[in-house]
Amino acid sequence: MDIISARGLTVGYGKTEVLRDMSFAVPEGRITVVLGVSGSGKSTLLKTLAGLLPPLGGGFDFSGSPVDYASEASLRLLYRKIGVLYQGGALLNGLTLFENVALPIRMHFPEMPADMVRDMVHAGLAQVEMADAAAKYPAELSGGMRKRGALARALVLDPDLVFCDEPSSGLDPITSSLLDDLLLRLKETFKMTLVVVTHELRSIERVADRVIVLNDGGLHFNGDFADLAAADDEFIRTFFLKRDSHDDA
Amino acid sequence: MSETQTATTTPETILLPKRLRAPEVAALIEDLRRRSEGVPLTVDFREVEEFDSSTLALLGYLRKHVPDVSAIHVGGALARAEESFVRLPPAGPVETPAPAGRPGRFFRSYADRFLVRARSLGRFLAMLVDEVYHLGGYLRERRGVYPGETWNQMFFMGYKSFPIVCLLLFLVGVTISITSADQLQLFGADIYIADIIGYAMLRELVPLMTGVILAGKVGAAITAELASMSVLEEVDALRTMGLVPEKFLMVPRLLAITLVVPLLVAMADVAGIFGGMVVARVKFGILPSAFLEEMVSTVDWVDFAWGLAKTVVFGWAVVVGSGFKGLTVGRSAEEVGRATTESVVLSVTLIIVIDCIFAFVIY
Repeated sequence: MDIISARGLTVGYGKTEVLRDMSFAVPEGRITVVLGVSGSGKSTLLKTLAGLLPPLGGGFDFSGSPVDYASEASLRLLYRKIGVLYQGGALLNGLTLFENVALPIRMHFPEMPADMVRDMVHAGLAQVEMADAAAKYPAELSGGMRKRGALARALVLDPDLVFCDEPSSGLDPITSSLLDDLLLRLKETFKMTLVVVTHELRSIERVADRVIVLNDGGLHFNGDFADLAAADDEFIRTFFLKRDSHDDA
Repeated sequence: MSETQTATTTPETILLPKRLRAPEVAALIEDLRRRSEGVPLTVDFREVEEFDSSTLALLGYLRKHVPDVSAIHVGGALARAEESFVRLPPAGPVETPAPAGRPGRFFRSYADRFLVRARSLGRFLAMLVDEVYHLGGYLRERRGVYPGETWNQMFFMGYKSFPIVCLLLFLVGVTISITSADQLQLFGADIYIADIIGYAMLRELVPLMTGVILAGKVGAAITAELASMSVLEEVDALRTMGLVPEKFLMVPRLLAITLVVPLLVAMADVAGIFGGMVVARVKFGILPSAFLEEMVSTVDWVDFAWGLAKTVVFGWAVVVGSGFKGLTVGRSAEEVGRATTESVVLSVTLIIVIDCIFAFVIY
């Protein structure tokens, strides 16, 4: 079953259309990678799918129900079913890592006993191997730790879908690879659906089940990763060739 | 002979020098145009060894726009460079607004600015209504705000603002007392300094000065914090966690300012009156007991209450104005600084406007 199903989706800012007339689906329990060159509209698409930026045309269903940007209830329902890992982590600087991860629980379930909140937070932090850093503030954490902490926060209410906006950006290859392992573990252990926006070739090769390629203001390719590798397409060949040589450099 | 000068081998042929970069091209182009008028020319680039993109642009220009150039000779590295230069996509037209007459441009510019301001005012008023709704919602349900955040904000807005507010109001009291008392002394009316200080402090100076200090200290900090959170996607993160940033971030600040302002105003009133009293005692020999006795015979609790009410409204204006600027910032760090400056200007403007409205209502 598809968790997201987009029809004729056009996204952009104000009156500027960044991506036009896209129809695609994100299957459940798999990792879908959205890739494209810088400025191709990857993050804009992610923001629209995450309920932050209203589409300029078309629309999409989430778990079979259409998402209505004009309805606060529809958006609230979407927010309850997703988690988002932002590029820089976006942990609140005034709160410790523990408080950051506890935030969604405390806000949505204020009646939950403190012991339960603590157990849930520690389980979430243990999942991303960050239990030891619970008392630290975001400023005291490295880039990779901040991202793992932010992933714990995105996962703490067991969302149906997690969006990851360039999880590897700014990280060294080893930390980046650990983060990829984590994403794969989440998929395999919890059957979680992930949409990963990236242009890191190594990450794509490791984690992608499905691939959405954006180019020239629209959807260029949408299919399995295996089909992408076999695709006889100049842009895809150029993209991978350039990235490959860039990664090897 | 300068490097940019050309050596004419025959009357029709211009041999260009070895070095032909932007400064040489700029010096050459007018010369070429002048010499080509009505005379068929051959331009020889074959000696050119040092060149840049302006040399290639010159080649293109000569080929397209100088019809009297009958032949162009290019060779070596320049020929290869020209080949790759030609392959580049042609430069699109530079979009410049269509020229308009001076009055049209003048009015359009002002009309655009007016529309931007009007739209911004509309969004500000919408946010103001939203905040009242969120505040009411929080007081009813006690949800959607981080526990303890109101106390943190009270500490910052109250405890940390208290010394500067008291010091400045004390000095204002001193200044008003000195400047007024000299005039009063001429008529033997020294004691009325107490009335002036009491009335001016309670009704006008304490609310206004406290509001301005809050705008500079608290308002700027709120904008900088919220704008940084917007830039770092923390506001987006709150939204996708299912929280309402306009409630989560603003309600604690509105509650804090409402609770803190009465204490600040009371302390500032005391500081200002004390400043006036010190000058009255030192400079004019008026005893504090006489000063206070005279003051309470003129001012009463209503004056204090009006001053307090005004300051609370000023505080809300500062919080909503600076919150508006912080939450509507763009995505660059540069805009954080600009938003912070604008928030202080907006807050002070709002304070003055509200004060003016209060003046019409009270007096």
